[in-house]
Amino acid sequence: MRGPAMSGRTVIKVEGLTYSYGPLKALRGVSFEVREGEVVSIVGPNGSGKTTLLKCVMRILKPSGTIYLDGKRLSELGMRDVAKLAGYVPQEHHPVFTYRVIDFVLLGRAPHHSMFSAPSRKEVELCMKVLKSLGIEHLAERPYTSLSGGQAQLVLIARALAQGAKILLLDEPTAHLDYSNQFKVLKVIRELTHSGRVKASIMTLHDPNQAMLFSDKAVLLKDGEVVAVGKPEDVLTPERLRDVYGIEFTALRHKGISIIIPYL
Amino acid sequence: MSRREDVLKALIFLSPVAAVLFSALLGRYPLGPREVYESVLAALAPGLIHSPSRVAEEIVVYYRLPRILTAGVVGAALSVSGAGLQAMFRNPLVSPYILGISAGAGFGAALAIAFLPPNFPVEVTAFAFGVLAFTLTLMIARAGGGEIPVISLILSGIIVTALFTAALSLVKFVAPNPHRLAAIVFWLMGSFANSGWGELSRLTPLVLASTAVLVAMRWRFNVLSLSDEEVKALGINPMRDRLIALSACALATSSSVAVAGIIGWAGLMIPHIVRLALGPDNRVVIPCSAVLGATYMVLADDVARCLTPEEIPIGIITTLLGVPLFAYLLRRASRVWR
Repeated sequence: MRGPAMSGRTVIKVEGLTYSYGPLKALRGVSFEVREGEVVSIVGPNGSGKTTLLKCVMRILKPSGTIYLDGKRLSELGMRDVAKLAGYVPQEHHPVFTYRVIDFVLLGRAPHHSMFSAPSRKEVELCMKVLKSLGIEHLAERPYTSLSGGQAQLVLIARALAQGAKILLLDEPTAHLDYSNQFKVLKVIRELTHSGRVKASIMTLHDPNQAMLFSDKAVLLKDGEVVAVGKPEDVLTPERLRDVYGIEFTALRHKGISIIIPYL
Repeated sequence: MSRREDVLKALIFLSPVAAVLFSALLGRYPLGPREVYESVLAALAPGLIHSPSRVAEEIVVYYRLPRILTAGVVGAALSVSGAGLQAMFRNPLVSPYILGISAGAGFGAALAIAFLPPNFPVEVTAFAFGVLAFTLTLMIARAGGGEIPVISLILSGIIVTALFTAALSLVKFVAPNPHRLAAIVFWLMGSFANSGWGELSRLTPLVLASTAVLVAMRWRFNVLSLSDEEVKALGINPMRDRLIALSACALATSSSVAVAGIIGWAGLMIPHIVRLALGPDNRVVIPCSAVLGATYMVLADDVARCLTPEEIPIGIITTLLGVPLFAYLLRRASRVWR
C-alpha cells in the first residue's frame, strides 16, 4: 500500500526556517514541501529540532523564514485560522481534571468559538461521529484519565479532527505506546491521509523503519539542519543514518520492503 | 448527563433560596415564621400587606436580610473565583487568595482602622489595596516580559502576600491604641456583622459583573485547563483569556474581602464538592460553585451569629468546617485529580 501519486498540489511549504531558543539555534534554514495525500516523517536524534519544527508549523513558536499552509502565508493567518487548518497532536497530554472523552474531544471546537460561547448539541454529535470513525465511540463517556496510551493517542487525534483540521501535525505519536498500539496509531494516520480525510500529515518519529513503512516522504534532521528530503528509502540509508546517529546500520530488503537495522 | 446529575443540579440551584428562607427565621430575637415572612412581604409590597410589628420589620428587613444576602453574594464570589482559578492554574488546590488579594486587602483595612477616623469606610481602602496587590502580582509575574507562566503567577502571588503580611504586622505593631489593634484582628477574621443594605448595594454589582464574565467563560475554562501549548494549538491566546478571567476573579475576591474580611476555605472547598458530585466539566462546575457557595456561606454565617450569644468571626467557622471536610475529601477524592 504505497501512497498516492507524488503529483498532488503542495499543501505545506517550508522555506528557510530558522528558530533559536535564546542563543541556541534549534533550526537552521529548513526547507521542504508536503503534497496533498502525503504522510511525512521527520526523523532525527533527540535535540535535532523535530518538535521545534512542528511547533513552528503550528505557529506555537514564531520562527524566521516562510511557511505556507494550504497556499496561505502562515504569518498572515490569525491563531484561530491556523487552528482551523492544522491540528497539533502532542506527544502526550497530562490531564489534571478527569474530563470525559467526549468533553475532551469537544475542546477541539475551541477555534470555532468566541470567549463566551460554548459548543452546541450539533458539535457534540460531530465529535461523536469523529470518535465513531476512529472506532472508539465506546470510550465517549469514559474519563480521559482511565484510557490506555493507545486510546489516549487516538483521542488526541480525534480532538485534532474535531477542530476541522486539514493537516495533522503529530509529535512522536508512537512514544509511550506498546508495539501493537504503535502500528495501530500509524495505520490510522496513514489511512486518514490517504483517504483524503485530511490533506497531509507530518509526524516526528524515532524509528526509521516505521518512517519507511508508514510515510511517503521523510525529512532527516541533524542539529537543526535538513540532511536529506525525499522518499523514505532514499533518505534513510545506512550511510546517512550513521552520519546522523553515530552508530553503524545495515539495510536489508525483504519482499520489496527496506529494513534498516543497527549493529554494534 | 444522567438523571442523578440533573436532580443534583436542580437541588444545588434551589438551595440558596431555601437557605435564605430558613436563615431569616434564625436570630437571637425570637420571631415566628409568620412574622418574619410577613415583614419581608410588607417591605416588598407596602400597600398590600401590613407589617406585623415595627420591631419584627426592623429586625428582619434591616438586620437579618441584608446580612444573609451579603453572605450569599460573598460566598458565591469566593467559590466561583476559586473554581475559575483552579481550572486556569490546572491545580485543584488553588484558592482565590493565591494572588495576594487577601493580604493586600487585609493591609488596606488595617491601615484604615489604625490611622483613619473611625467612621471612615474600611472597605474602600481594603478594596483598593486588594486590587493593588493583584496588579503587583501580575507585574512581578510579567517582569520577564510577554507571557505569564502559571508558576510565576503563583510565585509572585506568594511574594506579594509576604510583602503585605509584613506591612500588616507593621501596622499592627504601631497601631495607636489597643482598641484599634483589636478591631484590626477582628476584621481579619471575617464577619458579616456590619453588613447592611449599603454594603450589599456596593458589593453586588461588582460581584454580579465578574461572576457573569466567569459564567459566560465557563466552557473556555475547560480549554484553559490544558497546557499553554495545547491552548495555542487550539487557536486561543492563553494570555489574553487568562488576564480577563484573572481580573474578574480579582474583582470578585477584592470586593468580597473588602466587605467581609478574610474568610478562608470556601473558595477551595465548594468547587471541590461540586467536582466530586458532578464531574470536572467547568460548564457545570463554574455556575454550580457560585450557587452552592452562596448557600454554604449563608449557612456558615447562621452558625457564626446564632451558635453562641457572642458572635463568632465567620472566618473561624469556615476554617473549622472546611479543614475536616477537606481532609475527608482529600482521602476520598484522589481519583478526581489523578
